[in-house]
Amino acid sequence: MSVRPPYFDSAVERENGSRRVLECSAPGGTAQGASGVTNGLPERRNKVRRSICLAGLVLSLLLGLVVLLLSAGQAAAQERREQGTIRLSGAWALYPMAVKWAAVYEKDHPGVKVEVSAGGAGKGAADALSGLVDVGMVSRDIQPAEMDRGGLGIPVVKDAVVAVVNEANPVLRELLAKGMKRDAFVRLWMKGDLKKWGEASGTAVAEPIHVFTRSDSCGAAETWAQYLGGKQEDLKGVGIYGDPGIAEKVAGDKLGIGYNNLNFAYDPKTRKPIAGLVVVPIDVSDNGRIDGGERFYDTKDELLRAIADGRYPSPPARDLNFLTKGKPTGLVRDFVAWVLTEGQKYADEVGYVPLAEAHRREALKKLE
Amino acid sequence: MALVSRTNPLPQTALIRKATDRGGYLVFRAVTILLIVLPGILAVSLLIRARPILAKVPILDLLTSSNWHPARGEFGFFAFILGSAWVTILAMVIAVPLCLLTAIYVSEYASPAFAAVFKPVVDVLAGIPSIVYGLWGVLAIVPLVAGVAPAVGRYLGFVPGLSTEGFLTGDCVLSGALVLAVMVAPVIIAVSVEVLNSVPLELREAALSVGATKWQTVKHVVVRKSLAGLVAAIGLGFARALGETMAVLMVVGNVVNAPHSIFEPAYPLPALIANNYGEMMSVPLYDSALLLAALWLMLIVILFNLGARIGLRLVTARFWR
Repeated sequence: MSVRPPYFDSAVERENGSRRVLECSAPGGTAQGASGVTNGLPERRNKVRRSICLAGLVLSLLLGLVVLLLSAGQAAAQERREQGTIRLSGAWALYPMAVKWAAVYEKDHPGVKVEVSAGGAGKGAADALSGLVDVGMVSRDIQPAEMDRGGLGIPVVKDAVVAVVNEANPVLRELLAKGMKRDAFVRLWMKGDLKKWGEASGTAVAEPIHVFTRSDSCGAAETWAQYLGGKQEDLKGVGIYGDPGIAEKVAGDKLGIGYNNLNFAYDPKTRKPIAGLVVVPIDVSDNGRIDGGERFYDTKDELLRAIADGRYPSPPARDLNFLTKGKPTGLVRDFVAWVLTEGQKYADEVGYVPLAEAHRREALKKLE
Repeated sequence: MALVSRTNPLPQTALIRKATDRGGYLVFRAVTILLIVLPGILAVSLLIRARPILAKVPILDLLTSSNWHPARGEFGFFAFILGSAWVTILAMVIAVPLCLLTAIYVSEYASPAFAAVFKPVVDVLAGIPSIVYGLWGVLAIVPLVAGVAPAVGRYLGFVPGLSTEGFLTGDCVLSGALVLAVMVAPVIIAVSVEVLNSVPLELREAALSVGATKWQTVKHVVVRKSLAGLVAAIGLGFARALGETMAVLMVVGNVVNAPHSIFEPAYPLPALIANNYGEMMSVPLYDSALLLAALWLMLIVILFNLGARIGLRLVTARFWR
């Protein structure tokens, strides 16, 4: 025998301060309790909703657990070398080349996966030395601190950093005819006492020089600084983030001068400097003008040839290195050996310079 | 007595009721304590990782020196702290008056239809990724500042802070502050509108009924009552402005130099960390220095919040009962 509590057959408004609580009857029965106040909704609907919520919560928790376990399982699987994954990470400068090598190597060696990610030379070195990746791509020389931590640097390909100015530069003609000497670069980026375009070109132009450098720690800046006799932190100028950043900046500022990895200064399709940029010839012979032997900046291929036979100074031409923790073994060793033998012939089409023969053999010896 | 009815066949015994009640309370408490303890854990772990450099270089040198040459072991944070201060304070000076006035308009004067349209717009603005703001800054703000700066320098160059002596390109404190102001505005506006809306209607009615004008009501009653919330909104905006990394580092110039004018480039602390964390492993003490920079950031935010609360206490103690 159940006690039937009083039902409200119509909605009741109850003032509660400035809030109004709408209550209605509950045909399914109301909770018996001390207060006798209806809770507003039929209990059955309430229970159904509660169980749906609970089910949803449990399901999402389970799903989360499953995802976690799967990814953990995958990571564990990748630890085992039989699965055949080689991980590279590091410099943007090496990224296009590494991607090409990865594609060709995966085709030739089915069952091996090569993963390439970019995040900068410093990150690549840090990742390789801490064991997060197998190979770090480093677009500068390996530093003593990195070698102390067990790093082994193997040069794999060459490219270069070039100085760039805007195509609407007021003294462009003089710059192309006379070039700029290393000394001028030092005054611009290290000492900061070359302020006007007139001084840089031997004319009377009074417009100021806007010097740009890289704000993020990167191989290109380190190489350029090495050419000028310092380190990246010594370079003066407004810091722009990223290689394409500087290219954009100089392409938009007619008084600007910056430096770029040649793969970002030249359009990959047309093989000429990208729209708005002109590469500054370097007066290597220091004779105040650009001779025939120093004129190779119009197309990427000419520049690549000049780098290969040393007409373009090195630095700012540089070795791009693979950094491994200790001597590479197993799959990784095979991959690096392949890069130093078969991989070299792909360098040209992607826009890099293959290593000179003696250099390449030296690098191969490091693997033994 | 068990609660049984026709639709509730499972008895809710007193034990279950007590268990769910007590259990719920414990779970909530645990989660809350975890949230409170989290910043503490963060600060402690940063402190532990920053110990090496604190042990090597005296803290006064770190704070007051402008020499930043990690390869030579010189770590002077003064230029970065000052750069952060310039950019953030300028951003707040630009943003706060605009945002407060906007919030007052939306909550007091605007029609409900307008407010209904405004809220989603602000939410969208608050959700735009910072890299998008950074790109917009590079494309729009930097050329704008580059165009405006010479004129300002010529006519107002004598005002300290407005000279264009160190000015070269548009990448300067002003560009960074403008981008930041646009980024923190939605946060401040959204919170301020909520706070202003939560002032009870009765207070406004009481003020109006004694003959105050609408503006007097707003000024003396609504804003006064919601001062704590407005300060919290500004604090939120400040914390976001201080910590915003990508957008700022794309437009601020990244030159290690203590700025003397809004047209000079600067190098805020988050930009320092973002630009250089890749090199952390290569130079000794560099990672310790960058984590110390992260610790500075945390401390500045904590100090600012504390200061804001103490200031609020003082202000309200005088005017408020």
